[in-house]
Amino acid sequence: MASLKVAVRVRPLNKREKQLSSKVIVHMKGNSTSIYKPSPNRGDELKEKGKTFIYDFSYDSSNRGRPTCVSQEKIFHDLGSDVLKAAFEGFNACVFAYGQTGSGKSYTMMGHADDKGLIPQICEGLFSEISHRAKVDAVSFRTEVSYLEIYNERVQDLLIKKTIPTYGGLRVREHPRDGPYVEHLSKCLVQNPNEMEDLINLGNANRTTASTGMNDASSRSHGIFTIRFTQAWFDEEVPRETLSKIHLVDLAGSERADSARTTGTRLKEGANINKSLVILGSVISALAELNVGGQSTKKKIFIPYRDSVLTWLLKDSLGGNSVTTMIATISPADVNYLETLSTLRYASRAKNIVNSPTVNEDENVKVIRELRAEVSRLRGLLEEANQVCHVEPCSSVKVEEELLQNEARVLQLTKEWTSKWGET
Amino acid sequence: MASVSSDEWRAICDKFTNAQNLTVVESCNDPDNDPFRSKYKARELLREIYCSLKSFEAGDGEEEEESGGESGVQRPVEPPVDGQTEEAFSQGFCGDSPAGLRAAKLGAVEYYLGVNHVDTEELSAGQEHLMNCMKLLERCRVSSENVSLFIHVRNQLGILWAGRDETETAQGFLETAESIYQRYMKEDGSPPFDMTDYFSTEENLLTHQERTKRFELAYTHSMYYLAQVYKNLGETERAATYCHSTLQRQLKLNQFSPMEWALNAATLSQYYITKGRYMEGRHCLSAATVISGLAGDVPSEAAAQESETESERREQLRQKRAEIARCWIKYCLNLLQDSKKLLEDSIGELDTDRQEEMKRARRLEEEEEEKERKSALLFGSEDTFDSIASLEEKVGCLLPLDFNEARAIFLVGQNYVTQAKEYFQMDGYVTDHIEILQDHSSLFRSLAFYEEDLERRCKMHKRRVDMMEPVCNELNSKYYLMIRRQMMFELAETFNEMMDLKLTLANRQDDSESLDSHTIKKFNNLCSASAKYFQMFLDSLCSPEGKQPEHLEEEVLRPALVARFRVARLYSRLICTAPSGQVENLDKSLEHYKYVVQYCDTHPEAVATVETELELSREMVGLLPLKINRLKAKMTANN
Repeated sequence: MASLKVAVRVRPLNKREKQLSSKVIVHMKGNSTSIYKPSPNRGDELKEKGKTFIYDFSYDSSNRGRPTCVSQEKIFHDLGSDVLKAAFEGFNACVFAYGQTGSGKSYTMMGHADDKGLIPQICEGLFSEISHRAKVDAVSFRTEVSYLEIYNERVQDLLIKKTIPTYGGLRVREHPRDGPYVEHLSKCLVQNPNEMEDLINLGNANRTTASTGMNDASSRSHGIFTIRFTQAWFDEEVPRETLSKIHLVDLAGSERADSARTTGTRLKEGANINKSLVILGSVISALAELNVGGQSTKKKIFIPYRDSVLTWLLKDSLGGNSVTTMIATISPADVNYLETLSTLRYASRAKNIVNSPTVNEDENVKVIRELRAEVSRLRGLLEEANQVCHVEPCSSVKVEEELLQNEARVLQLTKEWTSKWGET
Repeated sequence: MASVSSDEWRAICDKFTNAQNLTVVESCNDPDNDPFRSKYKARELLREIYCSLKSFEAGDGEEEEESGGESGVQRPVEPPVDGQTEEAFSQGFCGDSPAGLRAAKLGAVEYYLGVNHVDTEELSAGQEHLMNCMKLLERCRVSSENVSLFIHVRNQLGILWAGRDETETAQGFLETAESIYQRYMKEDGSPPFDMTDYFSTEENLLTHQERTKRFELAYTHSMYYLAQVYKNLGETERAATYCHSTLQRQLKLNQFSPMEWALNAATLSQYYITKGRYMEGRHCLSAATVISGLAGDVPSEAAAQESETESERREQLRQKRAEIARCWIKYCLNLLQDSKKLLEDSIGELDTDRQEEMKRARRLEEEEEEKERKSALLFGSEDTFDSIASLEEKVGCLLPLDFNEARAIFLVGQNYVTQAKEYFQMDGYVTDHIEILQDHSSLFRSLAFYEEDLERRCKMHKRRVDMMEPVCNELNSKYYLMIRRQMMFELAETFNEMMDLKLTLANRQDDSESLDSHTIKKFNNLCSASAKYFQMFLDSLCSPEGKQPEHLEEEVLRPALVARFRVARLYSRLICTAPSGQVENLDKSLEHYKYVVQYCDTHPEAVATVETELELSREMVGLLPLKINRLKAKMTANN
């Protein structure tokens, strides 16, 4: 993985948690985040030592009143500006938000009109940089966006008003030249931040949200907002073009990602049994994969479970030269202890989760054998040379040079002699 | 308690039926923006049932200390520890006593409330209900009236705790469930009550057959959950056995969907392959192929265009069968590769002594196989058993020891390559298609090892080049960088291999050291092609402006240094009659050796990954200048 940054952000207690007079059990210091297990007897002090995790960034946004409270702007400054930098350099970039339902994912990614999240800020940054650069360099820019959601493993276009959702959703495919793509997904050309914002709002309105006991408008789907950013210019009369994709991903609540690890779909009940059978497959695949990892001689096997649509679509952004950022959002309240702990663990494992295939090269046995032979042959020559002029101890190179000069003289003589001989 | 025939009781039964219907049937149709609507309704009904049961109790003059029923608050609790099986069988109310039945009924409602809360993402509340159920059961002895509940509640608690990464706690519950099942089957074994039976009117009670089916299924789940628990504990062997048993039970009890089952069995085969257990691997794959056949024929393209359902079905069947084919490819490939590893000598050629030795050992192995087969955990029902066995006979499961054996396995693998490619076409499935091509190439490569005729061996490598070269050049690096790098490396190595073979062949045919110009040309072409692809790999590491990276990422560190080392070697092998050309090639060679040495000098962490290559590169950096000087001297002398 070229570059993966992991950040954790804690939100303030919400109304519900306050009503339950919840205790704050998450504390941040520098880039570390600690979580303390709530004691069974309420009112007791937090005596126990907490668990501490270190991330690239730990953002404490739990107390809006305090000046230390991490703002949306700060997060954009730390994480968003790298995304923009990558885009202008022609790389792909990807930002994920992950966390329990109601932990502030959508707030961090989208925010509100007067308190903009990462996505709108990145869009604004993009356009201000474009207008800046367009004045200075002779570069033309083209920005297209698409917005889709993956709900129950089906891809829906969020920029088209949902009429009747097609049963199979849109199909995800790969093209040898153009990479992974979603068939028939709409791409909208945007000229300014306002147009971009309108599209974001349109998409958000189309997104599947649901009401549960935990959260009133929790995201039930993964949302992927993609900016395709093309720069074109003339490089000494030759037209040049670079394309970079920025994926901004709002993952569905982590409860689901957790219980149906590979698919991230919400588990349809009714069906306890069916649900379980589906996962049997992922258990078995995990076993097979575990085994490959642990062995010294790597065997190549095939795990039949299709990558989830999500990983498939993000393939081009999870490796190579792309810039990947993950933001895990958590609740500070004791009532969410276990879920928060699980999010923190997931985030600390994130670096291992994203693994790119590597080159498995052969053992160089043959080449090594040949070279050893070559080395000893050359050494032999050197020794011979050393014996020829053992009179004075001198550096091997000098010896070799002398040897060569000798040889050359002999050759010269022979040549002269043969030519003379030929004349006669 | 109210008599079973009373109206009050009937009302409870009706409520229960409603709650079940809401949970199982209605909830599937809940709208996306209100996904738990039916579950919330079911929860209300269950709470009412709970209150009614309690009021019956109060009427019966019994006091309960439980606080259950109402609990919407999520509060974390210390992980509980499950009691002992022994106690469950020896202490407490008789299952069929009024007190025992009452406890079981209340326990069942707590159980359903628990599941309901868990399903609606209120885990802590769910846990509280499930633990209430446990407490109620603690007073009862295991019997046919309550054993189902004993197992179900532990399954649910197992899932709950496993989901929180508290694996040992989950393990405790599930292992107790397992031993309760086993002990019950040994001591009693009669078809036990299902929990729904508690709230069924006389005429709606389940048949014995149905009771057995549900009970067995609950235990299948225990096994399956244990498989996950063992996996999480790192006990893969045990986890695999539990997965295998789960699959076997599904098949035996006829509780499976064919494609899903087949895919799971095929995946399990991959586990066995990593363990080198090819007999089990083959068995899983054969069963997978046979059972996938039960899913019926693939709908025609015309039918798929007519209806969306047929189109989806066509897609699913084709995809999954192609995936099973890919599992078979890996089976064949690994069998060939494992055997090759055992048979090759220090430079990767066939070791004939070793081959003889292994052939002698083979006879013993065959007897062993027969014995193992009898004791192995086999899949199959009456009607599928024979087809599975006959499929197994079509391909060996012992390591191939000569060309003919290897070829038989190669051909089976190649056949599955064709099948898999039919679905995974380049257009639309780039990554998958290429992985299959890479496997095909590896199959050829393994077979070439057994081929004694060098001319034919060379042709096999040529096939590899032909299948990969056009694809490698067609792909866009931006999206398929890793795959392209893999292919570049493989192409480079294949050309190198062909170059070596050409040289050996030429030397064999001709006693004299000198090579004819035709051979030299061929040799040089192969040598340059190899160097070209190594160089292409190195170029792929550069920045968009073409700058060499100062620091090599961990995943490309060794490949990058090895590629340098190999290019260095290749330049020194190019045959060139003109001394000036020779010097030029050797200079390039030296430059690459120097890079390896310098990189390792400035990045000490790289040393361990390329020890031998580094040692030789150092030697060459010391020695190659002599060779170059000598040549230069010759040149000056000749001028």
